[in-house]
Amino acid sequence: MEEAGGIMLTEIPGGFITHRPHSIVGGHHRFAPYPVVLHQPHIHRPTVTPAIYSIPSHHHAPHLAAHPRTHAGAYHQHPTFRSAHRPQSPATPPVATVEEGTHIGHLYPEILVLIFERLSVRDRGRAAQVCTVWRDAAYSKSCWRGVEASLHLRRPSPTLFGSLVKRGIKRVQILSVRRALKDIVTGVPNLESLNLSGCYNITDVAIGNAFAGDLPNLKVLDLSLCKQVTDSSLGRITQHLKNIEVLELGGCSNITNTGLLLISWGLKKLRRLNLRSCWHISDHGIGHLAGLSKETADGTPALEFLGLQDCQRLSDEALRHIALGLSSLQSINLSFCVSVTDSGLKHLARMSCLKELNLRACDNISDIGMAYLTEGCSAIATLDVSFCDKVADQAMVHISQGLFQLRSLSLSACQITDEGLSRIAKSLHDLETLNIGQCSRITDRGLEMIAEELLNLRAIDLYGCTRLTPGALRKISQLPRLSKVNLGLWHVR
Amino acid sequence: MPTIKLQSSDGEIFDTDVQIAKCSGTIKTMLEDLGMDEGDDEAVPLPNVNSAILRKVLQWATYHKDDPIPVEDDDSKEKRTDDISSWDADFLKVDQGTLFELILAANYLDIKGLLDVTCKTVANMIKGKTPEEIRKTFNIKNDFTPSEEEQVRKENEWCEEK
Repeated sequence: MEEAGGIMLTEIPGGFITHRPHSIVGGHHRFAPYPVVLHQPHIHRPTVTPAIYSIPSHHHAPHLAAHPRTHAGAYHQHPTFRSAHRPQSPATPPVATVEEGTHIGHLYPEILVLIFERLSVRDRGRAAQVCTVWRDAAYSKSCWRGVEASLHLRRPSPTLFGSLVKRGIKRVQILSVRRALKDIVTGVPNLESLNLSGCYNITDVAIGNAFAGDLPNLKVLDLSLCKQVTDSSLGRITQHLKNIEVLELGGCSNITNTGLLLISWGLKKLRRLNLRSCWHISDHGIGHLAGLSKETADGTPALEFLGLQDCQRLSDEALRHIALGLSSLQSINLSFCVSVTDSGLKHLARMSCLKELNLRACDNISDIGMAYLTEGCSAIATLDVSFCDKVADQAMVHISQGLFQLRSLSLSACQITDEGLSRIAKSLHDLETLNIGQCSRITDRGLEMIAEELLNLRAIDLYGCTRLTPGALRKISQLPRLSKVNLGLWHVR
Repeated sequence: MPTIKLQSSDGEIFDTDVQIAKCSGTIKTMLEDLGMDEGDDEAVPLPNVNSAILRKVLQWATYHKDDPIPVEDDDSKEKRTDDISSWDADFLKVDQGTLFELILAANYLDIKGLLDVTCKTVANMIKGKTPEEIRKTFNIKNDFTPSEEEQVRKENEWCEEK
């Protein structure tokens, strides 16, 4: 008990005895002798008692220091007073101006934190501007756990980065850059995630300056649509950001196979790599990632997701490399890879970990490719072959006989009929999502089979299925778990 | 039905169903630690709760006595504040002073559900307001120096994005 404010408590070891009413004058609440389960015991700043609210002094009374779980000490051991001078001496006695009724100032900083945790980022930022006590409470780390700060990097504000560090914010999105990128890296040194997506004016020079030293904490780097970035930046990144696990390079169309060689040399921990629309990369570059040039680079064996959407130079050879060297891969996006053919899927069939495969708009994939794929790949839970217009009913036979783990199947604009749909309905009872929009041959008969068989269905897309009548739609809407039906460009129900 | 006596700070005795009293983690631990039994004549002293607030708290606990034990909040998901039941919303139509007293009592008595719903209620009073509107709502004095105020404004400008 550091400050009794005129009340004496006899502290008896282990005792709740200290709370016997005869030892206490007055009936106000005091610090909880029991930390509430909700509390996050990591506020170590010497916060102050909210003296600006004129608190009767006895409010600070019973501090049971003996209680092993008490963590409230962070604030009530420094009952400093807020005034123009704000003396820092913890001995300053509170001025007892007794008010009628309980003011919000009677709530301890920890309770304020509980309240602030329930606010949106915007409201939290505004609460911090109310008064010094609220600012100090609002800057506690538990209020900002997991928050990504979205910043415009412009005119200097000397305390901004420090305040981010204080709040424990480790994820930053840069919305626009009008000053050195280096500032954010030095200002928030323990940064874990940096999102520069869409910062088109980021150059190799800026990246080179920002990542001039090792940044072991940085795990996520998003450079999507930073179109000026070239392999030279990747040289810097692979040299100094060794612990990167997620690298987004979608739309960085200057990246070449050399860049992929650098990645496979330096980023051993990479789990997720997105190369969407990196048009220069070819089968050879994928070979680097797969570790096929072992004399120079080991590859990225921990890779779990590889995004190759719209990498139009890639052929079946790339898939051969992937199957050989990237055995941890769980998800691969090959949509718009128009040079991939049915034979390429023979390679993917060997990948036992693969759970998610996106072949959307791969024009050269047909029923035969589905036959190859379903010879292996039994772990696939999500398959998208939408807009593969050579995929038809025979593919449904293969899928229904091989992909028993399937939860989500997208067949939009495929050439399927009720016949193919009946195969799916009869065997894939775990299916939760079925997208058959623009499959214009489907009739009520096909949909009724789905309504009878696929009892786990949660979402169905029927956009542009012009032959369906309200009767069949009524039946489908009676599926017990269905929560999303798309009939148009909006969601119904 | 077994009952125990609870004594408020102003000396009033509340004969309370044991199950309801044990909604409070504090009372539950006290009973266990002190080995107090049902039907004991000795009242459990609650020096931090006055009779008016204790009456409200017991009213809340009685209504919620059959609630399932609340699960730990998942940190990753944003905490909701729009899920206050209509009974709770009516129960909490009180003046600010009473609301804050209830928060302090829920904190002291360690009643997670009540602390949760009262904190949500205050959060809803803060939502969408400017700092000045918040000060007016709760009668808080702005104790920032002009330069501090400018600094804290700049530090939180980014929170207004999106």
